[in-house]
Amino acid sequence: MAERQLQDLVRKLRSAPDYPTALKFLSTAKLTLLKAHALVPSPTTPQPLLLLARDVFETGALLSLRAKDTEAFTRYVHLLTPFYELQLSSGEQNKITGLYLLLLLTMGNYSGFHTELEGLECRNVSGEKRVVEDKFLGYPIKLERWLMEGSYDLVWKAMASGEVPCEEYSVFSEILTTQIRSEIASCSETAYSSLPISSTKDLLFLSSEGDVVSFAQSRGWTVQDGRIYFPALLKTSVDEKGNEKELSMVAIENTLGYARQLETIV
Amino acid sequence: MPSKTPHTNGTDPVENGINSTKDVEMKDDAPAPLKGGKGKKAKEGEEMAVVVPPPKGSKLSATPSKDKDGDTAMDGPVEGDEGDDGAVKVDPVTKAVVDVKSNFPLLERAVTHFDARFSLRALRSISSIRNRLTPDILAQVITETYQSANPAAKSLLKSLDREHAIFGKTSSIEMEIDTDNKPKAGKKEPKEIIPEIDVFLGILTQIYFLESKDYKKGSIFSAYLADRIHSLNRRTLDSLSARVYFYYSLFCEQIAPLAPSPSSPVVSIRPALLTALRTAVLRKDIDTQSTVIVLLLRSYLATSHIAQADLLISHTKFPENASNNQVARYLYYLGRIRAIQLRYTEAHEHLTAATRKAPSSPSAAGFFQTATKLLLVVELLMGDIPERATFRQASLERALQPYLLLVQAVRVGLLGDFEAAIKQHNDTFRRDGTYTLILRLRQNVIKTGIRMMSLSYSRISLRDICIRLKLESEESAEYIVAKAIRDGVIEASLDRERGFMKSKEVGDVYATREPGEAFHDRIRACLVLHDESVKAMRFPMNQHRLELKNAQEAREREREMAKEIQDGDLDEDDLGGEFEGM
Repeated sequence: MAERQLQDLVRKLRSAPDYPTALKFLSTAKLTLLKAHALVPSPTTPQPLLLLARDVFETGALLSLRAKDTEAFTRYVHLLTPFYELQLSSGEQNKITGLYLLLLLTMGNYSGFHTELEGLECRNVSGEKRVVEDKFLGYPIKLERWLMEGSYDLVWKAMASGEVPCEEYSVFSEILTTQIRSEIASCSETAYSSLPISSTKDLLFLSSEGDVVSFAQSRGWTVQDGRIYFPALLKTSVDEKGNEKELSMVAIENTLGYARQLETIV
Repeated sequence: MPSKTPHTNGTDPVENGINSTKDVEMKDDAPAPLKGGKGKKAKEGEEMAVVVPPPKGSKLSATPSKDKDGDTAMDGPVEGDEGDDGAVKVDPVTKAVVDVKSNFPLLERAVTHFDARFSLRALRSISSIRNRLTPDILAQVITETYQSANPAAKSLLKSLDREHAIFGKTSSIEMEIDTDNKPKAGKKEPKEIIPEIDVFLGILTQIYFLESKDYKKGSIFSAYLADRIHSLNRRTLDSLSARVYFYYSLFCEQIAPLAPSPSSPVVSIRPALLTALRTAVLRKDIDTQSTVIVLLLRSYLATSHIAQADLLISHTKFPENASNNQVARYLYYLGRIRAIQLRYTEAHEHLTAATRKAPSSPSAAGFFQTATKLLLVVELLMGDIPERATFRQASLERALQPYLLLVQAVRVGLLGDFEAAIKQHNDTFRRDGTYTLILRLRQNVIKTGIRMMSLSYSRISLRDICIRLKLESEESAEYIVAKAIRDGVIEASLDRERGFMKSKEVGDVYATREPGEAFHDRIRACLVLHDESVKAMRFPMNQHRLELKNAQEAREREREMAKEIQDGDLDEDDLGGEFEGM
């Protein structure tokens, strides 16, 4: 009974016109799963029911992502994990995992990203393909590598040229763009003393010089005669003085510590 | 077999030697026959080093070797004095039986004295017995130790496929031995068999299964044994039960669907281990607790459930006074998890401790190697270059070869070499589980490359940087250098219009706080070492009372002397007068 009902629901979900209606179907589907004891897989759950449950969660994950509901997406991913552990993988598994990786990346959760990645590498050792070569998984991995290296232009190209493996991935493009833009900005502040506006436009992947000026103002840069001047690095000299003071204090503290220790030893 | 013949084969002196060392440790009521060994101990000191593995074909071996080694019969007379028991020792089966049994008094002593050291000693002796075990030997020990009605003995025999073994009585093959040992067995019978001996025999059975690679049976038997242990609540059983769980999970690791597959037994053993952990924590059973935590971590990492392993660590407290080996293992796994989570400083700390705590015996070389490999990678990830000396150590040199190439590439900052090294040793790195970590090194290589260039050139064009580092484009080079400057890897500035990087003057390192910090770190390490060694010192019990007694005696003597002097002095009136005057 539950099975037929679920099959029906999955069909409805796939053809749902918008997120709110889909949400309604999703909650009924989850309730049905709960009643059938298939929300979390247990050894006694029959196989077809498990497959259906997985389908519901996968569709839910993709739908919530399209609606930019990242929290719901994370929940679905966590719900799906035990199903994938049971080797009930489907064509969607890599896609969803890849999306999850990308989400972790945009949230700056690098340790979560690598933890997830380690698991993938390990599970795929016996598998046919290397993780990096996978269409869905390779994308976030490459992005992460470029981000860590600092090859921001490659990240930009990968996002801009429509190389995204599927439409859901583009949800993150916007977040990533702002992220790398602020990264580049903070790098430029220390690396350059000044920059002409025209080249700053290319550097920051902005579309017009007007955007550059407004961006410069938002970060507190001074714009003068077509050049951007970054705030001088006044901080460092102050820091050095502060450090020096601290340094002598630290030295005194350390020496006193050694003296005390020596006394106890001798 | 004639008992008084002055015969010895190659193994004989060795066996006696081992026996004699053990014999010294024994209680007074220990089996008498071995006593003769004591006298020979000194004489056989050199021979003890020779370890001749006793042949598997147990019985037959004694006879042919007799004439071969007949001329080394210097122990002959001594043996003869010992009578029947001494002669039988020639037979490896009996020898093994006696060896196994010699541990029982230790276990009994552990119970009566409530001292875990004795059971540890019994466990240590396993390594010398382990490759001699056969089901027959075990069955014999069991039949001789237990009374026939004992259910524990029955189940042990059943798992060994020796259900038909007859208790107390002799079967046709074991005739002589049994007659020889009968007085001993008879002496033991009235005694109640303590569960420790039960479990000890269980462990031996586990080891037998392990040696014969019978993992399926081993795991079934271990599950049963673990169940039994669970029902017993005896503190003297702690170290033994820890060992039982250890072998249990070892069996599971070897059974068919191997580790990364989610249906492997490594996963299904987890509930059992978790229950054991809970019980151990409640019973404050440190041995089992530490062993099981380590086993669980190992199991999680085998299927790379890093998140679960991390949760386990945060929810459990590893017992502080766990045995050194368990601590080393725990630190290694901890280091591994932290490295995956990009917490390199912590990982480095744990791994350094793990390599230092690793036992230095050659049998533990594998652990040391693995831990060192991981440590090297973490060091590289932190931007440090490991010392050259690490790679020269004899026990590491070959194992670390691929890592040496890696380190060389990272040190010079050559991306090409680095990628070649990864490609060449891909499989090695994957096997070591360091592959993903090594992939993260790419950025470090690039950073080192940039640093080298900024040190050697005061001004270099971005195009050159791009070519040297084999980067995709000049633009990437610009971004990468900018990031390096922001991250403080180099002191430089960029000129976008003319496309070059200009290095700043390198300051004097000794003007900064760095040397002071390094100095401080070292001194602190020395002090901590000193404190730890003071804490680790052991003193014999009640020694201070003896000293107190001595001191008291001395004081009394002094007082007497003072009295005498006083008496003597009192004769002199002037002194006494002076006293009064005061």
